[in-house]
Amino acid sequence: MRINPAYYFLAPAFMGLSVFKIFPIGVAIVGSFYGTTLIGESVFRGLDNYLSIFGDLDLLRSFGITLLFNLIANPLQIVLSLMVALLVFRPGPLIGLFRSVLFLPVTLSLVLTALIWNLLLDPYLGPVNAVLDAVGIGRQGFFKDEAQALGSMVWLTTWRGVGYWMLFMLAGLYAIPESLYEAAKIDGASWWQRFRHVTLPLMRRPIAFVLVASTAINMLFFAPVYVITAGGPNGATDFVMFRIYQAAFNYIDVGRSLAMSTVMLVVVLAVAIVELWLMRSED
Amino acid sequence: MHLFQKLLKAGSSLALAGSISAALAVGAHAQTELNVVWMGWAEESVKPLMDWFGKENPDINLNYQRIPYNELLSTLEVRLGSRTPEPDLYSADASLTASYAARGHLLDLTPYFADDLDRFDSAALGAASYNGKMYAGPFATSMQLMFVNVDLFKKAGVELPSTDIDGRWTWEQVREAAKAIAKPEDNLWGVLLEQSDRPYQLLPLMQSKGAQLVSDDGLEATGYVNGEKFVEATQFYADLFGADKVSPPGLFELNLVQEVFHTGHAAMMVGGTWNLGRLEKSADFEWIAVPHPYFAGGVPVTPTGSWQIGINPRTEHLDESVRFMKFFMRDDVQAEWYKLRPYPPVLKANWDNLSDLLKGKPWEIAKYELQNTAVPRPPIPGFREYEEILKLAFRDIQQGADVRERLDKAAREMDRELAKYK
Repeated sequence: MRINPAYYFLAPAFMGLSVFKIFPIGVAIVGSFYGTTLIGESVFRGLDNYLSIFGDLDLLRSFGITLLFNLIANPLQIVLSLMVALLVFRPGPLIGLFRSVLFLPVTLSLVLTALIWNLLLDPYLGPVNAVLDAVGIGRQGFFKDEAQALGSMVWLTTWRGVGYWMLFMLAGLYAIPESLYEAAKIDGASWWQRFRHVTLPLMRRPIAFVLVASTAINMLFFAPVYVITAGGPNGATDFVMFRIYQAAFNYIDVGRSLAMSTVMLVVVLAVAIVELWLMRSED
Repeated sequence: MHLFQKLLKAGSSLALAGSISAALAVGAHAQTELNVVWMGWAEESVKPLMDWFGKENPDINLNYQRIPYNELLSTLEVRLGSRTPEPDLYSADASLTASYAARGHLLDLTPYFADDLDRFDSAALGAASYNGKMYAGPFATSMQLMFVNVDLFKKAGVELPSTDIDGRWTWEQVREAAKAIAKPEDNLWGVLLEQSDRPYQLLPLMQSKGAQLVSDDGLEATGYVNGEKFVEATQFYADLFGADKVSPPGLFELNLVQEVFHTGHAAMMVGGTWNLGRLEKSADFEWIAVPHPYFAGGVPVTPTGSWQIGINPRTEHLDESVRFMKFFMRDDVQAEWYKLRPYPPVLKANWDNLSDLLKGKPWEIAKYELQNTAVPRPPIPGFREYEEILKLAFRDIQQGADVRERLDKAAREMDRELAKYK
């Protein structure tokens, strides 16, 4: 039997995928059925790890917070990245500079981004609060205020994410044939009508990609929580990923942590499938 | 072997293959390499001792890694949890001796120090022991004093606390003085707790009220962490940040808290003796150190315990690791360590050897407290989980969470996590 040569070309990528993605996922899923004794021996726990997490109301609350964060952050990032892509799409003076500045936050590591914003928004030492105080608005708690902490996290991820997603939006915009806009103009379509009936339908695929990709990233949001709030204040930023970290490294219960990771994987897949279904195009 | 262990082993084999090829590439050398995970003290506090050991032991190549406190504990969990021979030695927080020993992460040192046990301060040796065996080498202990900015007291016309043990202030007195001096709108605070979210510093408040911290067997928190006396003391703590506004909420970094006091923005700070060096060298205000406060009607309780050195029982360099341990347990080495970082000594002889340095009122108070009021953190196997859960609860309470509700939640979480030690 002759093997299609395409498989030879695919083999290296498939091997990489197997070693670095599929194998670890397999280990995590198998490990989620095990526990560890105090002296480090693995013991089969069956579904105990899963039963314990489904009965944990605090964890269910964490799933709620993570989903709420995604419901706000993902659409916000899509709208803003599309807006800025439209602004810097057409050639013009200094457009390269604007694109670079918008992309700049992406070049910072997430941990560094968290440290910077934590300092900027600090209630006592932060310059943002100094300005708010000076103009009479008064100091805000931001990450240290239960009511503002989740919103501050949305701001942080949006600040860093918009420039990145803008690139995909720009690629989508460049793929739209200019002739369609010209035809629409000849038909007398206004700017809004061109956007609504030409740009938006043809941007469906890039938007779907950004939606799914940003969901995957934001569902696994962790570093800023670890660096800034440790799940607080009073559970306001108690994301699932932080609980998974805590279970593994602070509470020394790797099996439970892997069970939570597996559930999280299923949730992310389910959300992505729903998003792709919602964004499906007729063709 | 279970499937999960087999899978992990397959992954480890890949990593091991990489390590072997790297080792072959470098080539064999005569020196034995000791890998040490060390607390993230400043390099200038650490290097002199490591260099000293290196000079006396030229056959050992010391590879030490300093890790900041916040990351150290989780790093150790990962590295020790993998149950490999490395690190050979590590800095162990005194509160975790029981936890590490119960999980097989500490070598029993009793055979190596059987003739030396009476050299150690009994409280420090107790903190380094589990089930009657010595599992770690005491390297430092700690004591907290209340540092007072005299200038701010005088400016506000408030009576100063006494430096005498008999005149020890109550927390209620501290609060009244703090309220009279604090002006939060001008970034001027009444009283700071140096480690404002850590059970190390805060548990003595509850103990001063007479609260029991956990059940006798160390396996249950409900009824203790959310018991009446614990709640009362925590409410007092919460009010310092909330109702009374005498302490800045949300300031969890020890260095930042110290900075507020050392730059003259707070009237009092309950903190470690390690502040003495900086105050003596560079304070531009008049200051005194007074005994740790207690609750009226309660008993004086002070925090203690600090760093120890542990040997990984799986080390492949046992002789070299024991040599390292014995070196760091020497009087002259720990005396030099005191000069680099002034933790109260854990070797009895060093109180005399360092008498020129351990003089003056602050050290008089510290010595008294260590002998009379110091209570170590509960030596329970689950202290790692207990501490982490309580730390997050204190953070939330400091930032306005309802005390009883939050402690109920903490107790619930602790019960769940402590159950694995049953």
